[in-house]
Amino acid sequence: MAGSQPTGALDDVRVVDLTRTFWGAMAGTLLGDFGADVVRLDSPDGSSREFPDDIERPALGDNDCMGALVHRNRRSVAVDISSDEGRALARELAATADVFLTDLSSDELGRCGLDEKSLRAGREDLVYLRGSAFGPLGPDSDRPPLDELAAARTGMMPILPEPGQPPVYPGHGQMYTSVMLALGAVTALLHRRASGEGQAVDASLLGGNMYGASLDLQAFLAIGGQRFCEPVSRLDAGNPMSGTKYPTSDGLWVTLTMPETDRWWPALSELVGLDSDDPRFATHDLRCGDNRLPLMELLDGAFRLESAAHWRERFNELQMSADVIEGYEFPAADPQASDNRYLIELEGGQRSLGFPVWMQDTPAAMHREAPAVGEHTDELLLALDGMDKARLESLRESGVVSGGER
Amino acid sequence: MAGALDGIRVIDLTMWFQGPVAGQHLADQGAEVIHFENPRGGDLGRGVASIKALPVGDWNQYFLVINRNKKSMAVDLKSDAGRQVMYELVEKSDVFLTNLSAGALSKWGVSYDDLSAINPRLVYAMGSGYGPRGTVTKPSFDLTVQALIGVMTRLGEPGQPPIYLGMGSGDAMGGLMAAFGITTALWAREKTGRGQFLDASLYGAQLFMAAPTMQAWLATGSDRFSRQVSRSHARTPTWNTYRASDRWMVVCVHNDDGQWAKLAGLLDEQSSGGKLAADARFATDAARGENNVELVAELDRVFAGDTAENWVESLAETGLHAGVVCTLAELAEDEGAWANDYLARTHCNEVNREVMLRGLPLGLRGTPGTINTLGPELGQDTELILFETLGYDWDRIGELKSSGAIL
Repeated sequence: MAGSQPTGALDDVRVVDLTRTFWGAMAGTLLGDFGADVVRLDSPDGSSREFPDDIERPALGDNDCMGALVHRNRRSVAVDISSDEGRALARELAATADVFLTDLSSDELGRCGLDEKSLRAGREDLVYLRGSAFGPLGPDSDRPPLDELAAARTGMMPILPEPGQPPVYPGHGQMYTSVMLALGAVTALLHRRASGEGQAVDASLLGGNMYGASLDLQAFLAIGGQRFCEPVSRLDAGNPMSGTKYPTSDGLWVTLTMPETDRWWPALSELVGLDSDDPRFATHDLRCGDNRLPLMELLDGAFRLESAAHWRERFNELQMSADVIEGYEFPAADPQASDNRYLIELEGGQRSLGFPVWMQDTPAAMHREAPAVGEHTDELLLALDGMDKARLESLRESGVVSGGER
Repeated sequence: MAGALDGIRVIDLTMWFQGPVAGQHLADQGAEVIHFENPRGGDLGRGVASIKALPVGDWNQYFLVINRNKKSMAVDLKSDAGRQVMYELVEKSDVFLTNLSAGALSKWGVSYDDLSAINPRLVYAMGSGYGPRGTVTKPSFDLTVQALIGVMTRLGEPGQPPIYLGMGSGDAMGGLMAAFGITTALWAREKTGRGQFLDASLYGAQLFMAAPTMQAWLATGSDRFSRQVSRSHARTPTWNTYRASDRWMVVCVHNDDGQWAKLAGLLDEQSSGGKLAADARFATDAARGENNVELVAELDRVFAGDTAENWVESLAETGLHAGVVCTLAELAEDEGAWANDYLARTHCNEVNREVMLRGLPLGLRGTPGTINTLGPELGQDTELILFETLGYDWDRIGELKSSGAIL
């Protein structure tokens, strides 16, 4: 094998994707981007493309921009798993997989015979990958897979905003879960290659949100106290030069991360016009201890005197770890984002999120754009044992499958 | 029981959070991860003394948790002898992981070109700030990169400061992405016979974190995905935060007629004189969208009439979903978080007692991850690795020590 050039790092892996959520499907996208053959089980009526938390869909109408990301690099087979014949087909397709990916409830999976026990019987090398809301164990294992519920449980929502403000649902917790599922799949495949054994792998929205709550959560577990349970003012930060936000003259904000204040204090104080030799701020301990609050007040006043563009120019000149807090317009226009393929353009000119990991020899790529529901029904089902065109036609007539060549 | 990544050796030349946490994922699953540090104090994360202006206490949880299950070697890469140690270890390793600057790596002779020439099977993983291509050279941290993504300025009530997603939120994603990239490159290596260079930057990782709203914004350009929207103006009032009589909750009810009938019926039943179900302003999904501000105000009024716990329970009995907005203190006692090993306890040598820590977010049921030790002392494994893995004799180790090339 040495020396051959694969088209993708995972091009010898087949994933059968029975997901219904955005974040569950995104795990399949990560695997498909690196070349895995991802076969998505859609439903004949297309309802499999409606996310349970997609409250904006009616407003988006026909512009299936989310699908362009969530369903790319896949083939779609449309099979009705609420029918006996459809379930049997889904099980046959699953039997062709190296990885079976799902975010359905354990009840639904059990009803369809697509639970771990059924699929791994006689297929001990299968990696059975399941995402859920709160994990497979414990009292909440059957709750619906909504990121809002997991985020609410995680304890970060009350402390994200300023004091006195309503809690904030951030929306990113589910994305850790997507990557964890993809990481779990490949880790289990590596073990399978070494041992011949597959296994069940799980990740959840709660686990993802908790992982993302990293430093606050770990500090609470170690230190404890109300300061981790109630919002803290931005002018009450632990280090005035690190993790802080200050407003600019034009209504925007800058943020600083210079944890080693001894190194950066001379340059920063000079930049903003504060006295570098002010004895109140002579040492790191004074800046981050007794006099941190007055220092933050002074910085807050100083940054208000100039525009965001001014500050950015100076930060860059001085190579400071500091920047302007931007909107989505910034990365969309930033060559750094497109040159690294974090943002890409699809064939029709539509912009999309691209590939978060840069791999030199086996790069992530757009192998195929998102298929229509059932676009590959025929080719995938005709490859199954005992399937022929006549049987496929009768399945289509009875509504068990849809799509494919007519 | 064997870990899934048993037999994989990782050189972890990282510091702070993004790099170390990538190594943590690999170490949790059984890889031999060697945290490679300078002898003059090592990883700067060892020096973290306070979090949110509170002293970290008697154990440095910042460093010790993300470096758990690892070994530590303290070697001076500025010395020729130290660099030689690195090169010999590279020959015997599968993965080189770093989040140091490209400039420092070149200066020390540990760039991708340097190391892949020694071991072509090496997977060389970089956790950069802004990606391998482009012109930005300044130092990068979680928050200064998160600032550029666009996620911060869309959160919170209008006029409020931009919101940081939490200390370490972007580093955590960068590290997770690097771990995914590393395992994927290890899989590819069996086919190509070669390792390769990969980079999982904070910029790429944090754009991915923004996916749910950023993708929608890229397609539509609509402000509602990119600007602060008040909860009092929620486009879908039935899917929103509400303050009950005692505390906040999230309510997740779809704006369709069936779900609305259930919700309005329940609320009318629970509040005296309630007439939401019959209110023409809220009779259809379109009407509820158009009269969203009035509807949020009505729901604010009704939900304020009982406790969050009671609402969540009665909504659940009606088949509707809601949850109490908890604190970290409540999470620390969450039965499910413990049952799934998302929280864990382990012995901490520094304080000689059991401590609580972030557990194992990924459940590999055949080869469960483990937490065997917390982060290592600086250089605690240097001599043993030189002796056992690299075959140095004790005389040579003594010379390295007296020359200052190792601690």
